[in-house]
Amino acid sequence: MDFRLTAEEEAFRQEVEEFIREVLPAGWLGIDPGPEEEEREEVYRLSVEIWRKLGAKGWIGLNWPREWGGQESPAKDWILKQELIYHGAPGMDIAATQGDLIVQFGTQEQKKRFLPPIARGEVKYAIGMSEPNVGSDMFSLQLKAEEKDDCYVFNGQKIWNSGIHRADWCVVYARTDPNAAKKHHGISVFIVDPRSPGITMRRITQMTGLGAFCEVFYDDVRVPKENLLGQKNKGKDVSMYAFTIERSYGLVILHNARRYFDQLVEYCKETSINGEPLARDPLIRNRLAELAIEIEVGRNMGERINWMTGQGMLTVVPSCQNKIHGARVAQKLGSLGMQILGLYGQLDEKSKWAKLGGRMRHMYLSSRAWSLAGGTSEMSRNIISGPFGLGLPS
Amino acid sequence: MDLAFSEEQEMLQKSARDFLTSKCPKTLVRAMEEDERGYSPDLWREMAELGWMGLPFPEKYDGGGLGFLDLVVLLEEMGRACLPGPFLSTVVLGGMPILEWGSEDQRRYFLPRICKGEAILTLAVTEPSARYDAASIRTTATADGHDYIISGTKLFVPDAHVADWIICVTRTAQASNPEEGITLVIIDAKSPGISTVLLSTIAGDKQCELTLDKVRVPRKNMLGKPGQGWEMVKRIMEWAALAKSAEMVGGNQQVMEMTVKYAKERVQFGRPIGSFQVIQHYIADMSIDVDSARITLYKAAWKLTEGLPCSKEISVIKGWINDAYRRVATQAHQIHGAIGFTKEHDLELYFRRAKAGEVLFGDTDFHREIVAQQLGL
Repeated sequence: MDFRLTAEEEAFRQEVEEFIREVLPAGWLGIDPGPEEEEREEVYRLSVEIWRKLGAKGWIGLNWPREWGGQESPAKDWILKQELIYHGAPGMDIAATQGDLIVQFGTQEQKKRFLPPIARGEVKYAIGMSEPNVGSDMFSLQLKAEEKDDCYVFNGQKIWNSGIHRADWCVVYARTDPNAAKKHHGISVFIVDPRSPGITMRRITQMTGLGAFCEVFYDDVRVPKENLLGQKNKGKDVSMYAFTIERSYGLVILHNARRYFDQLVEYCKETSINGEPLARDPLIRNRLAELAIEIEVGRNMGERINWMTGQGMLTVVPSCQNKIHGARVAQKLGSLGMQILGLYGQLDEKSKWAKLGGRMRHMYLSSRAWSLAGGTSEMSRNIISGPFGLGLPS
Repeated sequence: MDLAFSEEQEMLQKSARDFLTSKCPKTLVRAMEEDERGYSPDLWREMAELGWMGLPFPEKYDGGGLGFLDLVVLLEEMGRACLPGPFLSTVVLGGMPILEWGSEDQRRYFLPRICKGEAILTLAVTEPSARYDAASIRTTATADGHDYIISGTKLFVPDAHVADWIICVTRTAQASNPEEGITLVIIDAKSPGISTVLLSTIAGDKQCELTLDKVRVPRKNMLGKPGQGWEMVKRIMEWAALAKSAEMVGGNQQVMEMTVKYAKERVQFGRPIGSFQVIQHYIADMSIDVDSARITLYKAAWKLTEGLPCSKEISVIKGWINDAYRRVATQAHQIHGAIGFTKEHDLELYFRRAKAGEVLFGDTDFHREIVAQQLGL
């Protein structure tokens, strides 16, 4: 056994750290991964800038084939993402993982058309999966895509599409065969231009105060046939692959939580009550250590997942395990942070009295989503106990 | 990165599992809970013949020359089988300190005997305060010519009643810092003035009250340097916590497998209870505790084997498995229902061992405090 990074990987990690130090403004407290916080204008501007710089470095799609500008190194791709997430750097766009889908399912034409702009860090992507009546039961989706002439004509509705109002492309899951014997058989996937005629959007404000969600209405929207990703009615394969590339979601949550945790530890060292630092309080020490242990355990699980991936092993079960664990830890951290901050925890970043830049309040709210997005913790438990995992009977 | 077992480790795991499945049935485990000695000398000899006692010791002392990670592979299987006996005491609490700090004479005397299964050792640390801290060490060793005269009471000493030699943590000097003035002495367990009383513990393992009444020990039996014993005790406690964690990870895995099997077989309302989502979700959560602990165990053991700093990693695994094993065993009882509540089912063996393991070599609060210190709090 050997838990070390290779010398090359470690050198790359240091290079990434240096890059992050250069691109982030001084005193940057970090943001959550994902498009949500790009609703703050300064985050959006920085995000676009860093995304371009990542492209210029040749660091987008490090896991892709060399033909498309990659280095065929899932390990490096993960190292980059991990460091960006830990430092709370904006920039890594959804486009990177949607590019993974195009690499896997795209035609040669599609790869030529869609991958280079992603690799250059020029385009932003969104994902259109959920519908008002489609949450965990995603294969019952209803957005209709009817083949007509050189197009598919879309009618219906999507919801909870984060960041689509600023995206150049959206990977949309739609029903192309309403009469399929099984509901997961009539689904196809398309790369849709969100500015197509017939698309209207309504922004939905999340409880963090950020208007990142969109409800998207499709009214006779014409999507060219050449934008079909993968085979018609075989969208299930694409969606299953999309789930496997989200296998590190638990680790994403944990590395993000690690930053908040480190900030909280510093706060407890620096803050005194009645002349005694919070860090000396036995209860606070105990609960911080409890979280440190849980974060460390989650990182170990994540390292194993990344290693298994490199070995070509199936990681469905450990990924689900780590996602549940990560969400639990992040939410617990949010609760503890808010408890330690007490009355101050209520304040947002605009208040001159805010502690830790008001970030703990944000995280306390945003962490509700970690046990929902990318598959609820309950769906993850179903997968662990089901045929891919422990084989409990249905 | 390479997170797979080596071929040798795979073989060790398989052979240990096969051996213990056939030689350590639950009838033996239960019998040994009632037995005064608490282990089977025949099985002990066979284990020695397999090279288990010598596994982490160099070949020049008749050992196997393997590392702590290999020992962890073996200990996992022992925990899975609930193997009774003084293995951890002899190898980890007794042999490893002698290898690390013993004089060449001490090594040559003790290690081959341990490897051959001829000597049982243990370590006496805790006293009636029942804490793993230096201030609790009140047992005194007073120099008298070429000897020490040792007096005091040690409590929760594993396997002292069958030990041939006891490494005793004594106070040789009073200092303002309680961590100073502590000395380790290897005592012949048959020395006059030593008496042991077996404690009746929740797991039926053998822990003792050890009374030392003016026990005379040659000063050359001192282990390491005088007055500097506490640093050694801290290291030994790390090894012990890691070794105990390995047993607990093995037990945890077994409980999980038993529960999955039971949930598939037990039928209520005309269907296996494992088909009910509530049971599935309980078991999914159990699997997180089981799998997360195993990789965390390996990380700590790998670091120790590589000679890397690992105090934090050891406290992470012990602090985690203490809670994880208890959670898993508790949930397993809920799923097994009444049968698991009886002595006719194996589950209760594990539930009791989960609690015993939790408090030995540092409970969760103990290890969280170490992690807190590592965080610079």
